[in-house]
Amino acid sequence: MMARAGQHSDPHDADDDKTAQAAFAALLEDSAEDLYESAPCGYLSTLMDGTIAKINSTLLDWLGLARQDVVGRLRFTDLLTVGGKLYHETHFAPLLRMQGQINGIALEIKQADGGRMPVLVSSVVKHGTTGEPLLIRTTVFDARDRRAYEEELLRRQRLAEEARRQAEADRARLQDTFAVLQQSLLPDTLPELPGAEAAAHYHTASPDRLGGDFYDVFPLDGKRFGFFLGDVCGKGPQAAALTSLTRYTLRAAALHDPDPVSALTTLNKVLHERYSASGDPRYCTAVFGTIDPDPAAGRLTVHLASGGHPPAVVLRADGTATYLPTPGGLLVGVLPTAPFTAASTTLGPGDTLLLYTDGLTEARTGKDRTSLYGDEALLAFAATQAGRPPHAVIEALDGLLAGFGDGLDDDTALLAIGVPSSDDPTSETR
Amino acid sequence: MNALKITTRDAGTGPVLEVAGDLDYLNAGQFRDLLPTVTLRPGQRLVVDLGALDFCDSSGITALIAAHHHAQSAGGQLVLAAVPANTLRVLSIVGLDQVLTIHPDSEAATRV
Repeated sequence: MMARAGQHSDPHDADDDKTAQAAFAALLEDSAEDLYESAPCGYLSTLMDGTIAKINSTLLDWLGLARQDVVGRLRFTDLLTVGGKLYHETHFAPLLRMQGQINGIALEIKQADGGRMPVLVSSVVKHGTTGEPLLIRTTVFDARDRRAYEEELLRRQRLAEEARRQAEADRARLQDTFAVLQQSLLPDTLPELPGAEAAAHYHTASPDRLGGDFYDVFPLDGKRFGFFLGDVCGKGPQAAALTSLTRYTLRAAALHDPDPVSALTTLNKVLHERYSASGDPRYCTAVFGTIDPDPAAGRLTVHLASGGHPPAVVLRADGTATYLPTPGGLLVGVLPTAPFTAASTTLGPGDTLLLYTDGLTEARTGKDRTSLYGDEALLAFAATQAGRPPHAVIEALDGLLAGFGDGLDDDTALLAIGVPSSDDPTSETR
Repeated sequence: MNALKITTRDAGTGPVLEVAGDLDYLNAGQFRDLLPTVTLRPGQRLVVDLGALDFCDSSGITALIAAHHHAQSAGGQLVLAAVPANTLRVLSIVGLDQVLTIHPDSEAATRV
């Protein structure tokens, strides 16, 4: 009822008021009986033993039963499902007896057509003047929408849980796939070199990404061996495909013509035709070489060529480390013809040739990780390892890489080939 | 990690692309996508000014190679200007310093 404050009533306002009051009065004359029978909820009154004494039309409609079949004939529990009956006996009734009331209990009522309707039930005991319990008044609320809502919530929760589990499984499978693919791009073992030793290591910066570094050592003819180490541009599956093509092209080219510059020239032609010529330039940097072991004389000759790759380091038995410069070689695959720079060296007892990819020299070091490890630092570190056998040099470098921690952005491949020194105990077993 | 920002301007010698930030695996694509939209007439220079370049990885190098190919197929020439020391070192290891024209700054690069 609206009260218009602070305004003088005029004849029109008075008419509006009368209409409103008349409508309100009409609502008040709505009989209490109609209010009971047609309530939006079910009403039920039972004796203390559960016999139904009074029931409203709303509940009868939900049940699909006629009043004469219910009043005085059925008990409240007869309206419930088996589960509801059990719950009523074990929880509902005892609590009601103890507390005098019970609210919002979820049950299901049986419908005449065989259906079940989820409801929420509240009951209160009416006591007589002397305090003895007389009857139970019960309200029954339609919980179908609420049940549907709850079920929808549960369903979505199950779906989300399932999706999360699936994502976890997918991720694990992907990492496994990467690990397997990565393994296939690198040799399982290095061949035995007569009078010499080879050792290698691949350090991954991230287990989630396929790296782009590669290396290999393989027999060429009965005497010589071929080797290579390199780095393809980019990361991920595309880079892995390029790595695979590079590795197998170099191996095949070497068997045909082991001259290092020729092998890189062939690789350049293959990559250029496959990628750059079709508008998608991809390249690799690589060092390719041949090893000619001479176990009787205790030395081996290395002929190599570099295509845009950082220079190899030669560690000598006298404790020195120097670069084997190969300036001017171009990265492989981007121009139709490209220059590659050749170099040679002979390794004697205690000497080792070290090849690496730029993950090592580009590692971010220093307190704030802003300076790069660099060429001079690598040479200085190598000098501390000079004279040691290849596997020891590799282990030391692996330790160095591990020490870089998250300063390592890129994968690093390492390959060391050397001649055991005359006083090296392992030289006896080779 | 620095986002890549490329500013385009025109000089008498042709278009100038000023590259700032990281040119790497994550955003080299942005640079490469821009290339086809840069018109280069035969005989013109495509100057790429790297004075504000923070970081360049192998994907960045590939992007520069793509720019080189784009310039060549248009009958023009790629010129790099103000290449930072680290990137210059990488360019010389991979031999691109012999293939690409490099000037100390864009003033020198756009001098006719």
